[in-house]
Amino acid sequence: MDFELSEMQQMVVDSAERLVTAETGLDQWHARRKLTDGVDPKLWVKMAELGWMALVIPEDAGGLGCPMEDLALLMIELGRGLVTEPLISTSVLAAHVLDRALVSERRAHWLGRIATGEVRIALAHEEPHTNGTIGVSARRIEDGYMLDGQKAVAFDAPSAGYLLVTSELEGTSALFLVARESTGIATNSYALIDGSRAADLTFASAHVPSDGLIASGAAADRILNEALDRARVALIAQAVGAMEVALRITAGYAKERQQFGQPIGKFQAVQHMAADMFVAAYQARSALYAALRDIDGDASKRARSVAMAKVVAGMAGQTVSRNGVQIHGGYGVTDEYVISHYYRRLLVLEKQYGGIDLNAAKLALCEAEA
Amino acid sequence: MNLRFDERDEAFRQMVRSRIAQILPWDISDRHRRLLANTSHLHDQRRWFAILDAEGWSVPAWPVEHGGTGWTALQRFIFEDEMYAADAPEFHWIGSHMVGPVLYTFGSKAQCDRFLQPIRDGREIWAQGFSEPNAGSDLASLRTQARREDDVYIVNGSKIWTSGAFEADWLFCLVKTDTQGKPQRSVSCLLIDLRSPGITIRQIRQINNEAHLCEVFFDDVRVPAENLVGEEGLGWTYAKFLLDHERTTSSFIFWIKRELTRTRELGRTVVRNGRQLIHDPIWSGRLAVLAAEIEAHEWSVLRVLSEESSGFPITAAASVLKVKGSEIQQSITALQVDALGEQSLRDYGAESLDASTDPIWPDLYQGRTSRALITRAATIFGGAQQIQKNLLAKLALGL
Ligand SMILES: Cc1cc2nc3c(=O)[nH]c(=O)nc-3n(C[C@H](O)[C@H](O)[C@H](O)COP(=O)(O)OP(=O)(O)OC[C@H]3O[C@@H](n4cnc5c(N)ncnc54)[C@H](O)[C@@H]3O)c2cc1C
Repeated sequence: MDFELSEMQQMVVDSAERLVTAETGLDQWHARRKLTDGVDPKLWVKMAELGWMALVIPEDAGGLGCPMEDLALLMIELGRGLVTEPLISTSVLAAHVLDRALVSERRAHWLGRIATGEVRIALAHEEPHTNGTIGVSARRIEDGYMLDGQKAVAFDAPSAGYLLVTSELEGTSALFLVARESTGIATNSYALIDGSRAADLTFASAHVPSDGLIASGAAADRILNEALDRARVALIAQAVGAMEVALRITAGYAKERQQFGQPIGKFQAVQHMAADMFVAAYQARSALYAALRDIDGDASKRARSVAMAKVVAGMAGQTVSRNGVQIHGGYGVTDEYVISHYYRRLLVLEKQYGGIDLNAAKLALCEAEA
Repeated sequence: MNLRFDERDEAFRQMVRSRIAQILPWDISDRHRRLLANTSHLHDQRRWFAILDAEGWSVPAWPVEHGGTGWTALQRFIFEDEMYAADAPEFHWIGSHMVGPVLYTFGSKAQCDRFLQPIRDGREIWAQGFSEPNAGSDLASLRTQARREDDVYIVNGSKIWTSGAFEADWLFCLVKTDTQGKPQRSVSCLLIDLRSPGITIRQIRQINNEAHLCEVFFDDVRVPAENLVGEEGLGWTYAKFLLDHERTTSSFIFWIKRELTRTRELGRTVVRNGRQLIHDPIWSGRLAVLAAEIEAHEWSVLRVLSEESSGFPITAAASVLKVKGSEIQQSITALQVDALGEQSLRDYGAESLDASTDPIWPDLYQGRTSRALITRAATIFGGAQQIQKNLLAKLALGL
């Protein structure tokens, strides 16, 4: 076992640190709210130039072929700066799906476009959870497929040119790749609490050409689960970065803020809250490492480790963000202090692709079967 | 010991429930149900208090000669419980629970004549100007200064976290009137017209997009000396009176019970893994534990209301209500957010929306996360959690 960074890893971390320091902060986050689709195109290009979109794409498809550990290190840095650019959707999630679902030239074509930052792809998978709404199903027609139904909270969809849509088809699962602006697909976009964007998608007799079906049956399920787990690991890594910074900011505040003639950091009640934050953040990074070890391994082991890490990092994120706000007093609940932005981002990172409760339920099943 | 509401209490409950149902305009409760903000629309609040005033019910706790109802503490409890259950706007408590009682206890006859009626009928709204940028938990270090010149005070300094100051009419303000003498006698209570020249108000954007919190700046603001409450230098005495007077408000028990009802409703509305969330053992287990805590919390409130002699100072019991109440507020809103899963992440902005026509986003979903975010403040305002616990350790246990 070795926890030291390789030269390549150190390079990724350094370049990320430079960009994140230059491109993030309160002003940038406030400006991002005004972007129509949540993405700053100049930042996106810079990230692509640094090779970030290509990081985990295999070398034979134009990528850098780096392991998930490298990606996690990059994500930690992005998490520190609360970067919400849709990197995970496109270059982790969609990249894995297309790598496994497509072959030869078509595979090289799509992965190449992702690697250069030319295309953005969002996953449309979750379905609404209320009565009166219907999930997506597909049926075969003469020259392709017809999709009907709804998806909710498709992360990063407003800025995506293409969608990966999960669907029911003739009693099994299917995965479609479609252009978002096709006829029959309506996008209802909105902002999330961290300034990123999502959309509900309504499919009304949306026509998909035959080659739009990229996987079906058990293969579709397997590929999707692998890709989602990789995306979850990336989210956990971002949370680890966000926690470590929230911790530093809060400790700094506790040293500065004076009440009763001394820094509030001198009060044991405040010290203990801060110490709990430290313990939580430490625990989260450990959970991330455990998940990374299993990310390319056996499917059930992988699923269990990722769920474990999502639970541990989710709870740690709550401790860190809640105590961070509490130690800031009134300032903590304002938009003007960065700690509230970390609070909101950590809530998104906890919930995205399954929160603590859903993952705890998965783990409970594992326990019952063990 | 008799641990039951008696028949008369039950009859009283039925009476106020049916009367509220008759007089509460449906559009007010409808808007109130869909609030994104943490406080009622001021316009609705004013309308509702005018209606209650006509009924003689707008300030139940005040002495009868000042417009109170003469109800027992238990009846007032029942009344407020029913107001929340009906989704009526809450009391504008700075006026009805702070300024009113201070004025009829310590104020002049002229002040009572001038200020009490507009509080009763919602015409004048009050804000509370205690905290300052450098005087939060350590309120005693406040610095806003009021210098006496003939028949006016000249006020300079600033206040922060002044909830609702931007839309309020008057400020109930703690100021320093003596910069030399004993600190215990240096603070006074002034009633300041928020439209006075020299006042600047800045709204502060919050974690939930609202900008209800304000910063208030005073630049040579002239306040008539007749707006001094009671005696100069007795500001702390009046502030302490308020704490002793209002022991159960910080329990937020009615708010909590209303949110419990909402949470149960969410449990029946959200479908997860093909079944109603209420049948999901992990989520409903948490709901069950919380509902148990809430029941006990309600009993704690009733004990404090009845001034049960527990062998501990009653202020310690009041701190129990604040500590537990704020924890529960945070847990119940977090449970609502968890019920919505990824759908909880949507940012609805700050303005309340019209009734939803999109089945993906029922009205019940709106405002859940916004409330949960600002409820982080429940352990900060009105005495931060750590301060409350310091106090408890000292008062109840002598530590
Ligand atoms: C939503 C909201 C509404 C408010 N409304 C009003 C209003 O209308 N009018 C008004 O006057 N004020 C209002 N306040 C202000 C509120 O009363 C203060 O925020 C509160 O007193 C805490 O002060 P502070 O924010 O300066 O935090 P600080 O006092 O700086 O505290 C920061 C942290 O240090 C801890 N700490 C401080 N001292 C100690 C100690 N001795 N021991 C252990 N821990 C300690 C605190 O617990 C907290 O975690 C409001 C605040 C909020 C958040």
